Amino acid sequence: MAIATADIALPATKRVSRGYWTDVGRRLSRDPVAMTAACIVLLIVLAAIFAPYVAPADPYKGSMIRRLKPIWDANYILGSDELGRDMLTRLIYGGRLSLFMGGLPVALAFVIGSSVGIFAGYVGGWANTLIMRTIDVFYAFPSVLLAIALSGALGAGILNAIVSLTIVFIPQITRVAEAVTTQIRTRDYVEAARVSGAGPLTIIRVHVLGNVLGPIFVYATSLISVSMILASGLSFLGLGSKPPEPEWGLMLNTLRTAIYVQPLVAALPGAMIFITSISFNLFSDGLRSAMEVKQ
Amino acid sequence: MTLAVDLDDKDRGGPAQPLLSVAGLVKHFPVNRGLMGGARSVVRAVDGVAFEVAKRETLGIVGESGCGKSTTARLLMHIIAPDAGEILFDGEKVGTAALDLAGYRRQVQMVFQDSHASLNPRLTMEETVAFGPRVHGFSRAAALSRAHDLLHRVGLDPSRFAGRYPHEISGGQRQRVNIARALALRPRLLILDEPVSALDKSVEAQVLNLLLDLKDESGLTYVFISHDLNVVRFMSDRVMVMYLGKIAELGPAETILQNPRHPYTAALLASMPSMDPNNRTQEAPLMGDPPNPIDPPPGCRFHTRCKFAAPVCSAKEAPLGAVGLDHAVACLMAIPGSGHPLAPALASEAA
Repeated sequence: MAIATADIALPATKRVSRGYWTDVGRRLSRDPVAMTAACIVLLIVLAAIFAPYVAPADPYKGSMIRRLKPIWDANYILGSDELGRDMLTRLIYGGRLSLFMGGLPVALAFVIGSSVGIFAGYVGGWANTLIMRTIDVFYAFPSVLLAIALSGALGAGILNAIVSLTIVFIPQITRVAEAVTTQIRTRDYVEAARVSGAGPLTIIRVHVLGNVLGPIFVYATSLISVSMILASGLSFLGLGSKPPEPEWGLMLNTLRTAIYVQPLVAALPGAMIFITSISFNLFSDGLRSAMEVKQ
Repeated sequence: MTLAVDLDDKDRGGPAQPLLSVAGLVKHFPVNRGLMGGARSVVRAVDGVAFEVAKRETLGIVGESGCGKSTTARLLMHIIAPDAGEILFDGEKVGTAALDLAGYRRQVQMVFQDSHASLNPRLTMEETVAFGPRVHGFSRAAALSRAHDLLHRVGLDPSRFAGRYPHEISGGQRQRVNIARALALRPRLLILDEPVSALDKSVEAQVLNLLLDLKDESGLTYVFISHDLNVVRFMSDRVMVMYLGKIAELGPAETILQNPRHPYTAALLASMPSMDPNNRTQEAPLMGDPPNPIDPPPGCRFHTRCKFAAPVCSAKEAPLGAVGLDHAVACLMAIPGSGHPLAPALASEAA
């Protein structure tokens, strides 16, 4: 073993190795912007989940004589809407649907798109060409137009909006998944695994997934904000949720007539969409740079 | 030591039977020119290569970048499928009922050049080494115990290195792990594709010594690919010199390095820096890059850079012909009556 000891550069003390994700978490926790964004997202999510306990009033109970009160009104901290309902309450409750419609289509598209993309990337050849050219067809349409067209064809409703948004996001996630997998597939360690006699499913599970899911996940988190905005847009057009459900996009629509009376109150749902989506984006940026460090 | 025990059970053909026998190996990569596909041309990466590797010997493969060394390695491993040619392993054709690909791959493993790219960044060292045995049905505990044995054998203390990730250890240590992984299935043949060319000189020597020790202990056979003639001289029993996808010269290491018969081998030897300052190479023995393998020159592929080139060289391809005991060269100068002015006369003419 004389030859063995010479090239050991690390100190001789036993040291606990950290996994990759522990490292990423540690780097992420040192990024103030990403952590602030994560706190804001967490706050909004928690408020939406515990809405009945957090919200000061009933989101559906209006008052005809107390309509469109300004911000900092004695009874309404954030004013009241066109039917005299408490804006703060409705913004908190609205987070439920908006986050749901922002998150669920992306989660569904993440599962489907990753599977298709990893398959296409790993198999390669004509199967890859077939899948990816089919996916490319969806790129012919701008995502807003595609979402509206699909929702319009399927009919209004939350479920249909989710389906159409999922279809909008599948091609984008598939393309990212395919690109990352194609890169990994030709790595020497994948070839070494093939040489050791492992089947494709084992190789994908052990060697591909761990290395591709990270980048795809980062991309997917950046889509949550887009999904929220599109979902709000669909609701605004009457293709998503229906009144009197509180949903930020829908609230923006119903309050637009009041824009000259109470411009600040009318802008509040838009501000919520803005804050939430930018927080998601900043967080996913932070996640990306935390993951980019050499492995 | 344990690895040597079951080797002889696998040996079917006896010591005289070559472990690996390759005939007519061809791999052409299609290249599309122009937007519409147009005229399809091919890179002749490996163009009719045939050789044998005896049991427990080391065959060194040398050549410049792009000469087909690594493609040959990948063809031998069946990572890429050959266009033509056959590979016999211990007398049995690979890919037939007698020896299917899975059975072949249990006995032949590969060590890659890039120690970093060949380790999964998400797996610890023990997981990497244990992967092969796990695939072949070992229990987790048995696979890990074998992984620890192998890490120990390649000189890495399992209690310190088993749980480390690739980015936490040095290049030499990573290459040791790669070697341990290749040994995990107890192969008989190791294909080493430039295993030390990315390492520092001091670490290189350690890894080479480790490889020699492992070979002696376990009775392994090596195909050792390198561009470094010093390394090949140190490691190999026989040497195969490749140029543009073809064999230029093949023979015992000492014979080829002392008395090269192919001008390309001679030029490669001349390009090695001399330790003696009075014996420095004054002019470059080889000028420029090798020709594009998409359109290899007609006739002898080396004639464009050969200082002995005669008109016949661009007209006639030189077959690989024997010039001595177990020594073959593909050069018209070595073939009697080939038409090259420097070729020996035919035996009949001389008589």
